[in-house]
Amino acid sequence: MAYLEIDNIVAGYSHGPDILRGLSATVEQGQVVCVIGPNGAGKSTLLKVISGLLHPRGGDIRLRGESISSLRPDEVLRRGICFVPQERSLFPDMSVRENIRMGGYILKDRDELDRRIESVFETFPRLRERANQHARTLSGGEQQMLAMGRTLVLEPEIVLLDEPSLGLAPQIVEQVFEIMNLFTEKGMTVLLVEQNAQKGLEYSDWCCVLDLGTMLFEGSADSVLDDPRIQELYLGRRQGARVTVQPQEGVA
Amino acid sequence: MSENLAVTADISPEEIRRQRNAERILATSAPRSRRLLLIGVLLLLFAIPIQAFLGNNINYVLHLLLFTMMYVAMASSWNILGGYTGYISLGHNVFFAIGGYLSGMILLYFGVSAFFTAPLGGILAMLVGLFFGFITLRVRGPAFIISTIALLLVVRIFFDNWDFIGGSNGMTLPLLDLPVHLVKVPYYYGMLLIAMVAIYTSYRIKHSKFGLGLRAISQDEVKAESAGIPTAYYKILAYAISALFVGMCGSLWGQYLTYMRPNIFLIILIAANMVLMSILGGKGTVLGPIIGAIALITINEFFVSQLGSSELNIVGTGLIMVIVLLFFPEGIVGTLRRRGKLPRILDWE
Amino acid sequence: MTEILQILILGLTLGGVYALMASGLTLIFGVMRIVNLAHPIFIIAAAYISYVLFTRFNIDPLLTVPINMVVMFFFGILVYRLVFAREAENPRYSEMTVLLTFGVALILDGTLGYIFSNTQRITSPSYSTQAFFIGDLFIPKAQLYAGIFSMVLLIALWAFLKFTPMGYAIRATTQNRSAAQLLGVNVARISMLTFGIGIGLAGASGALMSFLFSFFPAKHWEWIALLMSLIVLGGMGKQLGAVVGALILSVAAAFVSNIFGPTWSPVTFFLALFIILLVRPQGLFGDKVEAT
Repeated sequence: MAYLEIDNIVAGYSHGPDILRGLSATVEQGQVVCVIGPNGAGKSTLLKVISGLLHPRGGDIRLRGESISSLRPDEVLRRGICFVPQERSLFPDMSVRENIRMGGYILKDRDELDRRIESVFETFPRLRERANQHARTLSGGEQQMLAMGRTLVLEPEIVLLDEPSLGLAPQIVEQVFEIMNLFTEKGMTVLLVEQNAQKGLEYSDWCCVLDLGTMLFEGSADSVLDDPRIQELYLGRRQGARVTVQPQEGVA
Repeated sequence: MSENLAVTADISPEEIRRQRNAERILATSAPRSRRLLLIGVLLLLFAIPIQAFLGNNINYVLHLLLFTMMYVAMASSWNILGGYTGYISLGHNVFFAIGGYLSGMILLYFGVSAFFTAPLGGILAMLVGLFFGFITLRVRGPAFIISTIALLLVVRIFFDNWDFIGGSNGMTLPLLDLPVHLVKVPYYYGMLLIAMVAIYTSYRIKHSKFGLGLRAISQDEVKAESAGIPTAYYKILAYAISALFVGMCGSLWGQYLTYMRPNIFLIILIAANMVLMSILGGKGTVLGPIIGAIALITINEFFVSQLGSSELNIVGTGLIMVIVLLFFPEGIVGTLRRRGKLPRILDWE
Repeated sequence: MTEILQILILGLTLGGVYALMASGLTLIFGVMRIVNLAHPIFIIAAAYISYVLFTRFNIDPLLTVPINMVVMFFFGILVYRLVFAREAENPRYSEMTVLLTFGVALILDGTLGYIFSNTQRITSPSYSTQAFFIGDLFIPKAQLYAGIFSMVLLIALWAFLKFTPMGYAIRATTQNRSAAQLLGVNVARISMLTFGIGIGLAGASGALMSFLFSFFPAKHWEWIALLMSLIVLGGMGKQLGAVVGALILSVAAAFVSNIFGPTWSPVTFFLALFIILLVRPQGLFGDKVEAT
């Protein structure tokens, strides 16, 4: 039985067209899987489906054999899957500490929650410095640190990261991926969507390349970059795909 | 394509071009039955007062019909701002009052009948509409709705305290010098005329580049702006046009009632009725406000005759509004159209 | 000087009551992005409850505050389940929802008018005609008690939002709905409970209103624009903003009333509304203009 199985997912928004058209993939426990592809390929959509924010029109997602595709987001959370979305997921008028506390909203045990908040501060002393500041006053990098660090409160098994380096300066991007390494060191499985393919693959084990809602191909992170198909995807004109001269930062 | 949960507007430059072409084709091949229906209804409406000319007193019918036509005009007018552009005005009857009072005062001081000054009433209303549109159309959604209510209340307070126009007691206007069974007839034709022009304007706007721009604004204003549509200009224009006919109706109505008082012209229930009629019929459609006005007035008449009390009337209006919004948000015409059950004769979109 | 202090005190105590009225509105707007045009009629309905309890059972209006809060809380939840629950599924809170509240307002307006008729009512406990005399200052007891009760309730609300798990959930849903959802907040349930709490606060305000102002069903239209002006000034959805807005405008209105006469004091609120819309639509504390 696969750890996390994505089985022929078909999904779209509201009454719009299918964005994902039969996507299948398997993720092993402890892997860092990087999902890349041109704009509109469905990368973010995939994460939204897994996290329960968007219900698929067809296909299934299974965690250790149990179907989770029709669960609510909070139910998915309880199964140990945390989603850090592309849009800033912080509460701007809450302090850093309160934001972290919200990360543990579903925890019943107040003492345990306090303990975990402390351990997040241990891991991220920068956040402790700013513990009582409102989240909106933090810099971009600090906000991302908070968004990612907050997931540790729930000690999740799987973390879904949607373009964590988006809009951040290069040094900060390094920091972000260092945090991701921290996750893997703790044994968490990471599913990473990255527009910055090079950077993402540097820190990943496995890579899935998406285009037009399906999996084009997959392979180990090292091998994918040299694959000629990547060149074609990013530099050439393909049927239907947008032409991107280089992976773009900014709005997907 | 954007990968977030926002609903994207479905208007793009290509679609605008495509829709305009389709419209042109549709217009030329409009079924003759539609035109025949229209002509038939108009002939009927023009002919009804003949009974009065023959000496019969059909004042109840005339009153009901002219009242209905007035609301048809006002609801259609409101619809231009509320339905086409998506900016809900819950205080639209300020323009009703402006028209009414202007014509009323002119009648009192200069003896000129409202039938001549109605266009002036409309124009003044339009100017006020331009002014307030400029101020309040900077905000969207709920804040705009609130501003329209506030406008109504401010005007109410001013009119209540302005002795020159009679304050809260209002002023009485002279009656037309006609025999009793004919006295309503001029107003009947007046309202009929205004309704016709209002509906025609609504129709032409809907099928114009302006109307398409308004619709784009109602769906996604930001995208419309970036598509090159001059949103500020369009919105203010829509506000002004929607004020025009309401003002003209007010001019006639004041003289018809022979008195003007703030608590007749400036109660929010009038605006609520305009809104409800458009929604009930189908806001954003040409025919919707017409159907909505007829339906609501019929229901009202029925309830008043059965239950009498005016408080229950208010309850009824609210109930209908809630039910329509919850279950038929596109209104009668909109829902039928979506389900494909609207007879082609009635499809004026 | 005493006169100014006098007007200031009056303005502040009343401002506290307005702030309480606005707090429920702000709460509901924050969580559900609905401008509840029916809020004032709920307040008036609660005032009627106090009125009945006072005239029939001799219960002091101040004592009816907790009674009203509980009754209106459940009433609010009922109305929410009947009318708004379906709309809440919809991620886009459009003007249609605002019109729904308008319809609800009409229903309540007509119903109250039918039951109680449109005569002006007011409860008249003993303190409504008494006052404290501190030096040259004349402080009406009714206003003072109402102001104090309002402040207490507002502080309790603040503490609730700041320290309790549900308070966290409400704030989170207000500030970033999808993030809250992702962290396990049942936003549908929170919306319902928040609506109930908001109406409960309206209930408290109603009890206070019952002896401060004469009321009748149709009066809610005046209050809509008044409350809205407070909220727009403060910045929609911000509790602190609503309080500050209420205090500022109330004091300003008190001065206007003193100088120009009481009929013009409502105009202060409306004028302020238009000026804010012109100059700074997001209000004092609000975020930059939201897209619809």
